[in-house]
Amino acid sequence: MLLTLDLNDPRPLHEQVAGAIRRAIGEGSYQAGDRLPPAKDLADALGINANTVLRALRDLRDEGLLEFRRGRGVSVAGVPTGRALIVQRARDLLEEAKKYGYSRDDLIEVLKELS
Amino acid sequence: MTSRTRALLATGVWGLTVIPALVALPLSLRDRLPEPLATHWSGATPDGNMSFTRNMLFSVGMAAVIMAVMAGIAVHGKAFERRLSRGYWWGILFGSAVFVIGMEWSILRANLDVPVWTQATGFGWDVLVVLGASAAVGVLAGFLLRGEPDQAAPEGEAPPRLRLRSGQRSVWVSRVSNPWLVALTAGSALLTAAVGVLTLMGLTSGAGWSLLGVSVVLLAVGLLTSSITARITEDGLAIGFGPFGWPVRRIRLSKIDSAWSEQRFPSQVGGWGIRGVPGAAAIMLRGGDCLVLRYRSGGQLLISIDDAERGAALLNALIEERAGA
Repeated sequence: MLLTLDLNDPRPLHEQVAGAIRRAIGEGSYQAGDRLPPAKDLADALGINANTVLRALRDLRDEGLLEFRRGRGVSVAGVPTGRALIVQRARDLLEEAKKYGYSRDDLIEVLKELS
Repeated sequence: MTSRTRALLATGVWGLTVIPALVALPLSLRDRLPEPLATHWSGATPDGNMSFTRNMLFSVGMAAVIMAVMAGIAVHGKAFERRLSRGYWWGILFGSAVFVIGMEWSILRANLDVPVWTQATGFGWDVLVVLGASAAVGVLAGFLLRGEPDQAAPEGEAPPRLRLRSGQRSVWVSRVSNPWLVALTAGSALLTAAVGVLTLMGLTSGAGWSLLGVSVVLLAVGLLTSSITARITEDGLAIGFGPFGWPVRRIRLSKIDSAWSEQRFPSQVGGWGIRGVPGAAAIMLRGGDCLVLRYRSGGQLLISIDDAERGAALLNALIEERAGA
């Protein structure tokens, strides 16, 4: 599983981790039913606390993307729909826009200009 | 000059140097040697002898056999395709030259200036010196003459690559386990427990202890090789063995030349588990997707792991980023 975190992202870390896992699943690293690496492995690799990763995993479970099974660890419940991926990308875009001083409304204007 | 011609030429030079040396050395000392010579020792006392001529013919014959075998391997040519076997060939050629001359020298030295062969001096540390020197020369020659690394990157090769942006941190985590090996490990754990209890209760005879030993070894090997975890960070690749991810083998980014993914099977690397020799190793738990690393030193490491292509792409990107920095 390839996870990418933005070091300048002001969002809470667990949200960023959840976003990274959502992207990784959306890009096809994992199919429904596949097991995710243990939270400890992910945390070690990212250099963050295992509880932060667990919180991200719980958020994704609440979204219906992951399922927790006793003894089998965490597995993918369903591949995110197109809409979920677009929402994730829009969130990323919004963060990026804020970095350059554009507000949400500015971004909506940019999108309107596109059509 | 191809590596085969060069090797044949070297074998010729070897013969023209070693065989005259094996003739000249005893001849030059002939009037100081007993007849026959002590040629075999048990402990510090000589217990076997050969006449001067037979001993000389024996050593020359040994050199001729080595020369013929080395020339045969060179003519066959297969040994020069890979760096590891090239290293072995050159190492054995040079090491054996030192060995045959050194053994002859130590036999002569032991027999020097004694009236009869039974009074020949001991034959202890000479052998160690000769063995050590031939091993050292062999290793050095193998290292110096092993040649170019295997698999120079093919023309137009495009290893998978990932675009990294500054301010981002990418890591890759994956694992693989083989249910059959896990089952085998669990089986040997049960066996260990059962035999252990029976042995401690004194219900088994002598065989119990050896069975316990075997099952403990199986259990340890199984624990280490039934599953692995791998992660790639800015530090490089870390491979954790066993369910606890310990012990860990870390490979620094600076040692890796490039990475790619390949479909490989246990039959191609010699079976399951940790396989091969330094320079061409494999950690093979199941057939299929494998991550392959090419070291800067020319060697290769193959790891059977899921999602290998993304891992390879991240590794290549990190190597490139490091080179640019």
